[in-house]
Amino acid sequence: MPPEAIRRIGALLRHNLTLVLQEPAPLIARIGSPMLLMVALEPLYRAALAHEGSAAGRSQAATGMLVMFSLLATSLVGSAVLTERVWRTWDRLRATPARPAELLAGKASAALAVLLAQQLAVITFAHLALGLEVERPALLAAALLVWAMALLGLGAAIATLVRSLGEFGAATDLLSLGLSMLGGALAPIALMPGWLQRVAPISPGYWAMSGLEAAERGDAEAAMRSMLVLLAVAVLAGGVACWRMSRGWERSRLL
Amino acid sequence: MLKVEELVKRYRGVTALAGVDLAVGPGEIAGLIGHNGAGKTTLVEIVAGLTRPDSGRVLVAGWDVRRRPAMARRELGLAPQEIALYPSATVRQNLRLFGDLHGVHGRALRSAVEETLADLQLEEVADRPVALLSGGQRRRAQTASALVHRPRLLLLDEPTAGADPATREALLAVVRDRAREGAAVLYTTHYLPELETLGATLAVMAAGRVVARGEAGPMLAALPSEVQARFAGRVPGPLAGSGSVEGDLLRIRTADPERAIASIVEGRWPLRSLEVMRPTLDDLYHSLAVEATDAA
Repeated sequence: MPPEAIRRIGALLRHNLTLVLQEPAPLIARIGSPMLLMVALEPLYRAALAHEGSAAGRSQAATGMLVMFSLLATSLVGSAVLTERVWRTWDRLRATPARPAELLAGKASAALAVLLAQQLAVITFAHLALGLEVERPALLAAALLVWAMALLGLGAAIATLVRSLGEFGAATDLLSLGLSMLGGALAPIALMPGWLQRVAPISPGYWAMSGLEAAERGDAEAAMRSMLVLLAVAVLAGGVACWRMSRGWERSRLL
Repeated sequence: MLKVEELVKRYRGVTALAGVDLAVGPGEIAGLIGHNGAGKTTLVEIVAGLTRPDSGRVLVAGWDVRRRPAMARRELGLAPQEIALYPSATVRQNLRLFGDLHGVHGRALRSAVEETLADLQLEEVADRPVALLSGGQRRRAQTASALVHRPRLLLLDEPTAGADPATREALLAVVRDRAREGAAVLYTTHYLPELETLGATLAVMAAGRVVARGEAGPMLAALPSEVQARFAGRVPGPLAGSGSVEGDLLRIRTADPERAIASIVEGRWPLRSLEVMRPTLDDLYHSLAVEATDAA
């Protein structure tokens, strides 16, 4: 990568982090909410999964809330992209020498930092407050990173494809709640109806749950399998976002 | 500095540009005028690389906008019609970002930002978020963000729309200065007197084409003037056929106002006033753009 491109990505990263820090409330809410729900729901999950042992309920509470609220955090990523469209600054950025991939990298690096900060805070809280055991922290860190990349791609793809703020809200609600439920983040997969269990693997949330739980218990093979699927989701969704962004938007109807 | 060749763009069956040719040289301010929907903004967006043309070619400082977009964009500064700045960031932060992305860094960037803030009288609000600025200050900040890296081609799309007189004056002064330093400027506006103040050449767009291009002077000289003679009483009969009559007022549209005046004065009729109305840019615009739109 040419040094000029790295400089431009650096400038965009600094700028985007500044924007995030100027309005930290959404990030604080996305970090605080899963912590509260985790504490409130952990006894219920422990009771529901009593036959699998107390660790299963604890893991379900921690990982489930982490996955659900990180899916909700795609709205942070998406709104970071969408507000640029509303402010018309995307076109200003596109009129600079920065290539679409550089623009996306600059935006994505800041958003990735936000997602990782959220996940690290939640998992650390789960360890301290619920006693969540992590057999292989490095494996879990890798799984969190890949999951954050998949979330990033999904959030960016939605924000570049929607035509209005209303559509964006609807899409992120559907995505986060639908994929959370289907992935087993809200209710354990084992307790869901059979047909839902069969279609669950179409949800990235399913692979996030299985990958993170595998990493927590130290099962490298299962964790790697999930990470590969999530990586494919990240590449595909990121590719769609990049493609859409490079085409720009005509003077828009609803934004 | 800017060369546009045979540019065509259609949006869902509507032809926005129907074969535009245009060249703007270094130090030249080209005033792009035309009705709403004439294709001005589409042309600006294609030159800036924001919209793909269906056919044709755009060269910025010799770089093809489609084949070498990064090189072409390095040379241009864009101030779009609508304010496009980060509202929660300060004016200084906005200028730093756009300067940085155009390859100006470190000390050079700091001094370019300060200089541009001073040029547009924005020093006092430099550390204020754009969202808290007045409309005029936002306009100036927007133009500043297009100027900060000293581009060789400036694309200013209605930069003074809604601006107060002081803001307009500051903006025009800076545009003139940058052109004097060698920048080519493509300036779209509906305020034609601005183009006279800027000493701009004209490119009149209508129905997706440039229907007239050149210096304003010769183009204006080709238009008829209007001689208005007001008499003490009715317009004398021998003169009535030479123009239109409204009570005691005779209007004669002519390419040779001196001869018309001579014919009025020689008759020694009782005159109350005699005036020659020279054609303005408004007249030129109407004669070219309106005719071309009607023809299309």
